[in-house]
Amino acid sequence: MISKVLIANRGEIALRVLRACKELGIATVAVHSTADADAMHVRLADESVCIGPPPSRESYLNIHQIVAACEITGADAVHPGYGFLSENAKFAEILDAHGITFIGPTAEHIRIMGDKITAKQTAQELGIPVVPGSDGEVKPENALEVARKIGFPVLIKATAGGGGRGMKVAKTEADLDEAVSTARSEALAAFGNDAVYMEKYLGKPRHIEIQVVGDGMGNAVHLGERDCSLQRRHQKVWEEANSPALNVEQRMKIGQICADAMKKLKYRGAGTVEFLYENGEFYFIEMNTRLQVEHPITEAITGIDLVHEQIRVASGAGLSVRQEDIVFSGHAIECRINAEDPRTFVPSPGTITHFHAPGGLGVRVDSGAYQGYRIPPYYDSLIGKLIVHGRNRVECMMRLRRVLDEFVIDGIKTTLPLFQDLIGNQDIANGDYDIHWLEDYLANKTDA
Amino acid sequence: MADKKQGIDQALIRDLANILNETDLTEIEVEQDDLRIRVSRAGTPQYVQAPIAAPALAAAAPAAVATAATPADARSNKNAVTAPMVGTAYLSPAPGARPFIEVGSQVKEGQTILIIEAMKTMNQIPAPRSGKVTEILVSDASPVEYGEPLIVIE
Repeated sequence: MISKVLIANRGEIALRVLRACKELGIATVAVHSTADADAMHVRLADESVCIGPPPSRESYLNIHQIVAACEITGADAVHPGYGFLSENAKFAEILDAHGITFIGPTAEHIRIMGDKITAKQTAQELGIPVVPGSDGEVKPENALEVARKIGFPVLIKATAGGGGRGMKVAKTEADLDEAVSTARSEALAAFGNDAVYMEKYLGKPRHIEIQVVGDGMGNAVHLGERDCSLQRRHQKVWEEANSPALNVEQRMKIGQICADAMKKLKYRGAGTVEFLYENGEFYFIEMNTRLQVEHPITEAITGIDLVHEQIRVASGAGLSVRQEDIVFSGHAIECRINAEDPRTFVPSPGTITHFHAPGGLGVRVDSGAYQGYRIPPYYDSLIGKLIVHGRNRVECMMRLRRVLDEFVIDGIKTTLPLFQDLIGNQDIANGDYDIHWLEDYLANKTDA
Repeated sequence: MADKKQGIDQALIRDLANILNETDLTEIEVEQDDLRIRVSRAGTPQYVQAPIAAPALAAAAPAAVATAATPADARSNKNAVTAPMVGTAYLSPAPGARPFIEVGSQVKEGQTILIIEAMKTMNQIPAPRSGKVTEILVSDASPVEYGEPLIVIE
């Protein structure tokens, strides 16, 4: 059994984990840098330990200090939250060696999924659909054969590549020869190596991810999907569950594939299998072996507390639910409230002079912010998450519109006005967007 | 009517102002029929509530593991040597052995002043400068957090 949890994180997620621990009657230890001595998670924890100066590297990422904090407080488990040490296999191993429970998967699973190549191989072996591609290098001689097998459009990429160089799209067979030769010469010029490979090209995909939880003993469930297509610079901005693009049949099919894969893997803890989705097909991107920022929308539509489940399986108590117990009810949307200028996205640290969180039915605010709180400039700009639930998507959107007008954060700039803008947009209302939509929309707005 | 009211106002205000000065009050308010006058000392803060609400906290601040007993002045004392790491502080090299330092000892820069045990490793903490130990702020085998004052060297 777990009796005292050290929360190796800060901000809203530290508070989120603390709440779950309190509900389960588990004592809590907050760790913090000198910059976070006044943070809400520190104030609400049973005990706190200052573990270092403001830079994360010397505090929240300092394994040595965190293990020492476990020793002096007698914490028997660590919850890593997201970010920081949550996907650090070495950290999981060190805790294990010290007899401290890591509330997360095994170090081996973190390692497998943390590497792009082994993750894709493993996903494929577990029956998860991946982006079809050439196994290895493509030569001009066999390009057509490979491309026909994959199906047009295809993307030619330098094997040594990165940053968009040595990357060409062939929409049809007619474009193929030129695309391959251009990619090869670009690759040679940029990387000194003209080897290229081929992948299915996705023009307008959505980002859809499946939430899974496993008990580490061969039992696992899925909790449906989240649609996180609205992104800016690969940062999710707005998330929905369920996806406006999937029907029940598609949801249960891909969900079952992921749950079965986790059973086979004997995965322990919460995880997310991320996909690109286009024309009814799913293509594996990566698996995150931790709790996600946007997990509350899944909690809203299933009623299942994911942190409770994480703690249960880490302590060996198994899952509290079976697949057939999980019912998806209504629709939920999360808006990430960042301390940033809503137009330029320049960070806006400072003191919150007034803070009023919205309320009412179907409204959840996860935030460590309060009136008088000074946002330190050392960490990421997420200061809170607004999660709204309704019986269907229309009700959810109407509620979100009301709630956004009610939320007051003064003294700093936040992304609240961006969401007030998005809620009035027709494409958003229709759920008609892909992973490029938000950036295109923002670019057009700036031009206008 | 207007004249009469103005007359009353002036006389009354003067009277009230005198009373205010004599009694050293900050504010007087009187009401007569439909007339109400308030005389208040300028520049005197009148706030009933604090200008910024203190963060609403259901729980009191938690006991920071080892800092509760530390005197506030030692925390801000620039001569205090602070813990460079989290761990358990030991004042002597072995249980029962003589402590590294005592109040009044002269220490040389680099001399071990105590040990902090973390992750089964004994870390010797050196004196950052030479001087006289005027205070030892931690007790033997007590937990310390990062930045916690350990001793004062004058």
